[in-house]
Amino acid sequence: MRKSGWFVGLALAIWVGIARAQNAEIVATVTDQQGKPVSDAVIVAVPSDGNLRLPSRPPENVVDQVDKQFMPNVQVVLVGTPVTFPNNDNVRHQVYSFSPAKRFELPLYAGMPAQPILFDKPGVVVLGCNIHDWMVGFIYVSESPYFAKTGPDGKATLTDLPPRAYILRVWHPQMDVAEETTRKTVEVTRTRPADVGWTLKLKPEVRVRRAPVPDRAGRY
Amino acid sequence: MASTPSSAEWLFDVDVSATYDSNLTRAPSAPDIRPDWATTFDANTGQFIALTGNDGLTLTLNARGELYDRYNGLNVVAIGATAVYRHKFGLGWAAPWAALAANGSYDDYRSDVRTGARFGLRAELGQRFTESFDVVAGVAYDRRYGPHGEAVVPGISGKVFDLTGQSAYFSVGYAINDAWLVGVDGSIRRGDVESTSQQGLAVFLASSAIAEDPAFNDPELYAYRLRGTTSTLGATLSWAFSDRSSLNLHYRYALTHSPQDLEYRSYNTGLVFAYRF
Repeated sequence: MRKSGWFVGLALAIWVGIARAQNAEIVATVTDQQGKPVSDAVIVAVPSDGNLRLPSRPPENVVDQVDKQFMPNVQVVLVGTPVTFPNNDNVRHQVYSFSPAKRFELPLYAGMPAQPILFDKPGVVVLGCNIHDWMVGFIYVSESPYFAKTGPDGKATLTDLPPRAYILRVWHPQMDVAEETTRKTVEVTRTRPADVGWTLKLKPEVRVRRAPVPDRAGRY
Repeated sequence: MASTPSSAEWLFDVDVSATYDSNLTRAPSAPDIRPDWATTFDANTGQFIALTGNDGLTLTLNARGELYDRYNGLNVVAIGATAVYRHKFGLGWAAPWAALAANGSYDDYRSDVRTGARFGLRAELGQRFTESFDVVAGVAYDRRYGPHGEAVVPGISGKVFDLTGQSAYFSVGYAINDAWLVGVDGSIRRGDVESTSQQGLAVFLASSAIAEDPAFNDPELYAYRLRGTTSTLGATLSWAFSDRSSLNLHYRYALTHSPQDLEYRSYNTGLVFAYRF
C-alpha cells in the first residue's frame, strides 16, 4: 500500500512537471513614445477561446503603506483575490476607492486593518487616502490568471501559459488610450517564447502635489 | 508594522528666502520710498492630529527671522504658535473643506517701536477640483500690538504699530505637471496701516498716531498710523525637485488707498527654498 502511494505521487509529480514543461511563455516589452522602457505596465493574456481556469480561492495579496505612499504603486491581482492594506507608517491612514470595480473605505486605522477587501470584479481600482491627498495607488483586477507587470526595464514575462491563442492587453496609469485598443492576438507554442511589444503614449503624471508651496493658504 | 502607531503626525518645515520689497516705508512719494533686500528664515514644528477621517487639527510652533541688507532696524526675530482645525465635507481629494485658524506671535524688532505681539484669526473654504487645480478663499482678522511708540505730537497717540485689520483673500493653484505649479493669490484688507514719510499736511490730517521711526536712519522720517484699504495681487511659480522640497519664485503687488487721497504702492518679490521633513 505504501509502495503504490509512493508510485502515484511520483507519477503525479512527473505529470505536473511535464505539463509545466509543455507550457509556454510570453515576453512583453512596453516602451513610451521616446523609446524609454515603461515600468508598472500591466500585461494581461486571455485565451482567445475564453477557456479560463480560475483557482477557486486565489491567495491573499497585499498593498502596503510606507512613507505615506502605497507600495507597490501598481498591484495586479486575479479577480476574487482578498487584499490587505497594512499601514507601516507611524500615522493613521484612511484608505478608500470610488472606482466602479470596487468601492470601499477603511476608516482611520493604524497597523493591520481587521479584514481584507475582496476584489471580486475585474477592472482598475484607484486607491486614495483621505488624510494624505497625494497618496494614490492602483489595483488592476484581472479576469485572467495570466498576467504580469513590467519592471524598470519595461519587460514582463507571462509564464505557465498552456499553448493556444491569447488576446493580450496592456494597461498603465498614465496611458492615453483605452485599454481595449491595445489588444493583440498571439499564438503561443511550446517551442519558444512569444515576444510582444507595445509603444504607449503616456500622459504626464499629475498627482495632488506633496511638495511644499510656501505662503499658500490651505496647507495642512 | 509601525512600532508606535499614533493619531498624531510630526511636522517640521523650513523656508529660507531672499526677498526684495520696493517700498518698505509704504511711502506715497519717491523721496521717502526705501527699498531693501532681506534674508528670511522660517521654521515650523508641530503635530497634525487626525481627529476623525474628516477632521484634523494642526498645532505648530513657529519661529521667524528677517535680516535686512540696509535697514537693520527692521531686523526681527519672532516666536509664535498656530492652530488650524480643518473639516473635510466627504471623502477624497475633491471633497470641499473648511478651516479655522488662529495664530499668535511675539515680534522682537531691533527698532523697538515695532516690537510687540500680534495675533490673527482666519476662516477658509477650499476645494480641489482636479488633481492639479485647487481654490482657497477666506476671511481674516489681524491684530498687532505696538505698545512702544512715544507720542511726538501732544494729543496724538504714538502707538503707530497698534494696528487692526480685516481682510478677504483667495488663492488658486494649478500644477502644470509633477514638478511645476503656478499660483495666483489676491486679497483686500481694510484697517489700520503704517506709513513712514516726511511730515506733511495730508498725512498729518489722515493719521491717528504719529511716532519717530529710527529704522530708516533718517531723522526726517516719521511713522504714521492711517486707515486704509490695501489690495494685493500676487503670483507664485513653484518647482518641486522632490516630494519634500521646492524652490519658489513669488511676486506680489500691493496698492493702499488712505484718506486725503494718499496712495501707497509697493511690490515684493523673492525666491524661497522650502523643505518639509
